[in-house]
Amino acid sequence: VHESLEHSAEEIKRLQRCINDLVSVLALPAMWAGREPSQVVSTLLDVLMGMLGLDLVYVRLNGSISEEPFEMARHAPFLNLAATPREIGQLLDRLLGQDPNSWPTLLRNRIGDGDISLVPLGMGLQGEIGMIAAGSQRADFPGQTERLVLSVAANQAVIGLQEARLLSEQKHVASELDRRVAERTKELAEAENNFRQIVNSIPGLVCTMNAAGEIQLLNRPLLEYFGKTAEEMKSWMNSGAVHPDDLPRVLAAFSHSVTTGTPYDIEHRCRRADGVYRWFQVRALPVRDADSRITGWYVLLIDIHDRKRAEEALRASECDLSSIINTIPMLAWSANPEGFCDFLNQRWLDFTGLSTEQARGWGWVATIHPDDAKGMLDSWQMGLVSGRIADVEVRMRRFDGVYRWFLLRASPLRDKSGKIIKWYGTNTDIDDRKRAEEELRRSEAFLAEGQRLSLSGSFLWRLDTDEITLSEQLYRTFEFDPHTPVTLERIGSRVHPEDIPLLTDKIEAARNGDSDLEYEIRLRMPNGSVKYLRTIAHGTRDRDGRPEIMGAVQDVTERRLSEEVLGNVRSELAHMTRVTSLGALTASIAHEINQPLSGIVTNASTCLRMLSADPPNVEGARETARRTIRDGNRASEVITRLRALFSKKDTAVEQVDLSEAAREVIALSLNDLKKNQVIVHAELAVDLPHVLGDRIQLQQVILNLLRNASDAMIGIDNRPRRLLIRTEREEGDSVRLTVRDTGVGIDPKNLDALFNAFYTTKNTGMGIGLSISRSIIESHHGHLWGAPNNGPGATFSFSIPRMSEGVTDTYNLGAIQAPAVTNGRKS
Amino acid sequence: MGGSHEEAVIIKRSLVTVVDDDESVRESLPDLLNEFGFATRAFSSAEEFLASDYVGQTKCLILDVAMSGMSGLDLQRELKLRHHEIPIVFITAHRDENLRPRVLEQGAIECLYKPFSDMALLDALNAALRGN
Repeated sequence: VHESLEHSAEEIKRLQRCINDLVSVLALPAMWAGREPSQVVSTLLDVLMGMLGLDLVYVRLNGSISEEPFEMARHAPFLNLAATPREIGQLLDRLLGQDPNSWPTLLRNRIGDGDISLVPLGMGLQGEIGMIAAGSQRADFPGQTERLVLSVAANQAVIGLQEARLLSEQKHVASELDRRVAERTKELAEAENNFRQIVNSIPGLVCTMNAAGEIQLLNRPLLEYFGKTAEEMKSWMNSGAVHPDDLPRVLAAFSHSVTTGTPYDIEHRCRRADGVYRWFQVRALPVRDADSRITGWYVLLIDIHDRKRAEEALRASECDLSSIINTIPMLAWSANPEGFCDFLNQRWLDFTGLSTEQARGWGWVATIHPDDAKGMLDSWQMGLVSGRIADVEVRMRRFDGVYRWFLLRASPLRDKSGKIIKWYGTNTDIDDRKRAEEELRRSEAFLAEGQRLSLSGSFLWRLDTDEITLSEQLYRTFEFDPHTPVTLERIGSRVHPEDIPLLTDKIEAARNGDSDLEYEIRLRMPNGSVKYLRTIAHGTRDRDGRPEIMGAVQDVTERRLSEEVLGNVRSELAHMTRVTSLGALTASIAHEINQPLSGIVTNASTCLRMLSADPPNVEGARETARRTIRDGNRASEVITRLRALFSKKDTAVEQVDLSEAAREVIALSLNDLKKNQVIVHAELAVDLPHVLGDRIQLQQVILNLLRNASDAMIGIDNRPRRLLIRTEREEGDSVRLTVRDTGVGIDPKNLDALFNAFYTTKNTGMGIGLSISRSIIESHHGHLWGAPNNGPGATFSFSIPRMSEGVTDTYNLGAIQAPAVTNGRKS
Repeated sequence: MGGSHEEAVIIKRSLVTVVDDDESVRESLPDLLNEFGFATRAFSSAEEFLASDYVGQTKCLILDVAMSGMSGLDLQRELKLRHHEIPIVFITAHRDENLRPRVLEQGAIECLYKPFSDMALLDALNAALRGN
């Protein structure tokens, strides 16, 4: 019992110690709180060495607790171990093997200088945390309690280490956090810097304001735009930054936004540094904190000047379009595909005086003249179906009830498939045109009537195509079928054969660009009658620049015929004058004949008497008979000359020597002149170029001039009655005849009247001499004139073109003297 | 030449003077007058006659009316002014019916229109000379 009691007391002490040890071990984690694992391990090793009286203790932590595997060892000095914890760990691994499950619970081995009993324990459930090995050279090691303390300590170490690890991890996280915060802070600083750069480099103008609307920050572009400092910009309201016209509106909007906290968005002009105002859109957004309180404003100014301009232009053009639609000088409208009118422009409404509501749909029909409405609607309905509305002309009622003519025109708008989606139409006021058309129709009718009455027609001849258009009257003149086209050949077939060369010549001239044509040709009609046509034409060009000849043709046949009659009358008159003027000469002519007759009678009487004498005077009779014959011949000569002058022969165109013609006239008039005591000087050129004409007519003119000169000198007694008659060649290929007297002269005022028919200064004359003389000379392409002399008297002259060499211009003279040519006359 | 003979004839016969500018008259009329038995002289102009010595001797003047220069009527007036009362027989080729009464009124014996017959001339001459 005693033994047992002793044993029990010892046992109790041992247990008591064990419990103390366990308590100490259990308190270890509290001690370890906040320590590093190495401190935990170190403490654990020290506690175990002391508590269990160990000679060697070794702890290894795998990477699960600390980042790196961790080994630590304590050993008693007597072992003389110079080994590092690592080398001890390697020795233990060799002794124990790798697998914790195969470890012996106790191992005795020599370590250093001692024999050591070694207990290996895994840390953690599977030894995953590490291992702990405790050794002592005591033989009874480990006792039961020691083993218990050891394993509890190992568990406590695990707890402590896990806590330490947690702590370490927490610390690590915290430092990571700090580091991250530091990094972030740095990033933020950089970001802010970037932000500043961005803000400064964005093309917009940016600034911030505080809640009260005071400017805080401004970006560089903003300052550069305004050309002001940040300080100056803070008083932007008064610094002229905003266009004065916009300022009141801007201030109102600004204060409204700042007061109410509503976003600010306004367009206004801002003054650039150089004084130019540009349009900006200025937007400000409030920045709010978590409690929705406004802490400030972000302000962005966007240059919208160009857009604004474009908008204005667009607005202007829209405005233009609208004003165009309403101001185009026509009534415009649109209708849906069914013809239901859905738009009418202002002009339409103004014209009709209807409102859009009244006119919409089919209301507009009321404005169409009742006589036109039916036809118009029929055409319109058909057009809606066929997709093609024909133009119609209708009368539309104006607001004041007056109807005016309009041209209605509509075009469909189609979609891609060709379906009509809209009709657009215009009504054009054509009232004036309509009236003008009517006028034109009337004046055309007048023209046609006028052409018919005046027998004038007009034609158009296109030179490039030879297309010829004749007026109605010309068809009648040419007696062409109005339905057959007219060609040059057809016209040629009507022209008198003798005039074909003339016409050909004129056509050629027209083709060669002669722009002014004036000629007269004859037509020979199918019934053999002759028409005289006078043509005046000129060249021009049509709108396309093609050459054409436009002309008027007048049928002058009547005039020609009356001219012919007039010519006959004139010819009669000329004859009469001739007879009259020569009639005045009759006495002198009779004298001229009576002289030789007298000689004849006297000589014959003498002759008879001589022959009847006893003895007959034969010699004397012979002489007187000879004189009788001579005088008879002289009388005959006179009569021949008179016959030439008196007989009204047809006009004969021949070469005339004016000197010779004058000489004959002088010879005939000499007695008459002598009777008036006129001294005649004749200066008649020899070798005078011939003229072409009617010798008798020209002689009549000469005779007339001589008689006038002679008559003018009757009653002149204070000076010689001189008459000079001269022929000469003139410059410019003419021949001139001049008769100069010393008579009463002529009053220059009466010069023109002198040539009027029936103007006379003489008591006996009829006053047609000079008039006829002039017409005769002019028919010879010459001219006749008179003038007072420097001294007493007057001079009358005429000049006629000399005959051009080799050419006998018979046609023209014939044309001018046609009446005489064609008029055969009974004498 | 035979001047004295002629002179004798003139004295014996009455001198009838012809003034006419027509040569054929001056040629033919003196021959006829000779046949009638007159002495004759012919002048081609009035001026020529007036300048000659025959004005006083002329018993009858046969005078052309129309002449260049001084006309027959002028000569008649001139002779009247000079108091030569010579009977004048006018001859003219102009059948101017007004002429005859006019010259007769002025004292002419006769006015003959050419051509005239020898008998008409002789009657006129006889009348002229009878008045002498």
